[in-house]
Amino acid sequence: MWGRQQSDSRALRSKNMAQHSRVRVAVDAMGGDYAPEEIVKGAVLAARKEDVEIFLVGSANILEKELARYRSTNGSLIRLVEASEVITENESPVVVIRNKSDCSVAVAAKMVKSGEADALVSAGSSAAAAMSAIQFIGMVDGVYRPAIVGSLGSFAPNTVMVDLGANVDCKPHQFLAFAIVGSVYAKKFLNIANPKIALLSTGSEESKGSGAVREAYHILEKSRLNFIGNIEGNEVLSGKANVIVCDGFVGNVLLKFYESIGSHARDWTEQKLKKYPPLRALVRLAFNRLFEATRISNETEKQGGGILWGVNGVVRIAHGASRAPQIANAIESAKQAVRAEVIESLKSELTQLNQGGTL
Amino acid sequence: MTVEEQIREIMARITHVDGSIITRESTFKDIKADSLDVVQALVAVEETFGIEIPDEEAQKFQSFGDFVSYVENQVAQKERV
Repeated sequence: MWGRQQSDSRALRSKNMAQHSRVRVAVDAMGGDYAPEEIVKGAVLAARKEDVEIFLVGSANILEKELARYRSTNGSLIRLVEASEVITENESPVVVIRNKSDCSVAVAAKMVKSGEADALVSAGSSAAAAMSAIQFIGMVDGVYRPAIVGSLGSFAPNTVMVDLGANVDCKPHQFLAFAIVGSVYAKKFLNIANPKIALLSTGSEESKGSGAVREAYHILEKSRLNFIGNIEGNEVLSGKANVIVCDGFVGNVLLKFYESIGSHARDWTEQKLKKYPPLRALVRLAFNRLFEATRISNETEKQGGGILWGVNGVVRIAHGASRAPQIANAIESAKQAVRAEVIESLKSELTQLNQGGTL
Repeated sequence: MTVEEQIREIMARITHVDGSIITRESTFKDIKADSLDVVQALVAVEETFGIEIPDEEAQKFQSFGDFVSYVENQVAQKERV
C-alpha cells in the first residue's frame, strides 16, 4: 500500500476548524476560462452566506482591482493571497510540479496542506489541480490517485460509479481504491450500511475483462469489502450493486452515454409522432422529465465538476467554463464536504479495512 | 542504504510496485510508471539527495539504471565539493 507521508495537518485542521467556525476555502482565482472576473464574482456570491472565509489566490494586483468592484458586499470574508505564477491551458500540467510551484493552484494546495485552508476550489486545468493535490497535499494512505464518484440518479438511486474520468489508464490496485472511495460515498451520502461492490466487466466470470480488470477481480475478492463479483453493462441500472467500479475511461464514456439517453429518446419519439401533435407535446413533457432522471446526480454536470476523492484534503474542481454561480456552488460543495468530514470517513474506512492486512 | 536502493524504494513507493522487480535494466514502462509517477520520483529524489535534475537530463533516462547513474554522479560531485 502506498501513500504519501502523512503530516500533522489533520490535527492542525481540526484545531483550526474549532477555532474558525467558518470553513476556509482557498480558491484558485487565476484558473478557468473566465478568470479572474467570474471567479472573484463567484467568491463574492459565496461569501454572502457568511459561514465561509475565502482566500483568493493569484496575482494580488489584479485581484485587488477586481475585488474593489464588490467591496460594498461582504468583502471582509475574502482575503487575497499572492501567487506569482499562472498555469495556462496550453502548458503541460506537469510544469506545476517541476517549474511553476508558485502558481495559483499550487499555492492554494499548499495552504490546504499547511492547514491555513480547509479546502481548495479550482476551475483551472483539472489535471493541474489533480497534480497540485497529489504533490502538495498528498493522497490518503492507500489511495494512489484521485477519483471522481457519482451516483446514478433516479434510475438507480442506490448505485454509485467510480471512476468517472480522473484515471484513464488504471493499474489493478487502483480499482480497490475506487471501491473503497465508492463505499465511503455510498455510506455517507446514500446511507447504505454495507454497500455491495461490483466490478464492471464484459461477463460475470472472473476470467472476463481486460488484464487490469481480471487482476482487479482477485484483489477485490481478497479484500474485506462486500465484493459481489463482476456485473455487465446491462446490469448497471439494476440496483444489484451499490458501487460499480471501473476505470476512468469506461466510466466517462458510460456517464456521457447514460446522460444522453433521455434527450435522444425524446427526439426519436417526437420524430415518430410527428403526425400527432398533441401526443408529441405530451411526449416532450414526459421526456424532459426523463432527461432529468438520467442526469448523474453528483455535481459533475449539474453544478460543474466534483470532489477529487482520495486526496488528503478537500479539493473541488469546477468546469473550466464556470461562471460566478458555478464557482459559488463549487465553494458551497467544498464547504459541505469539509463539514461532512469526508476525508476522515475515508481514512477511517481504510483503517478498518486494513485491519488484519487484508486490504 | 546505497543511492540505488534509496531510489528503488522511492520508485516502488510511488509506482506501487514491488521494489524487487526494479532492476537497472528496467524501463519506466516496465515498472508501469506514467509521466506523473516519473515527475513525482524526480522531485522526491531531488529532495532526498539535495540535488537538481534538469528536465533535459531527465528526458534522456531510458532505464532505471540511467536514472540511478545520473544521481550517483551528482551525489558524488556534491560530496567532492
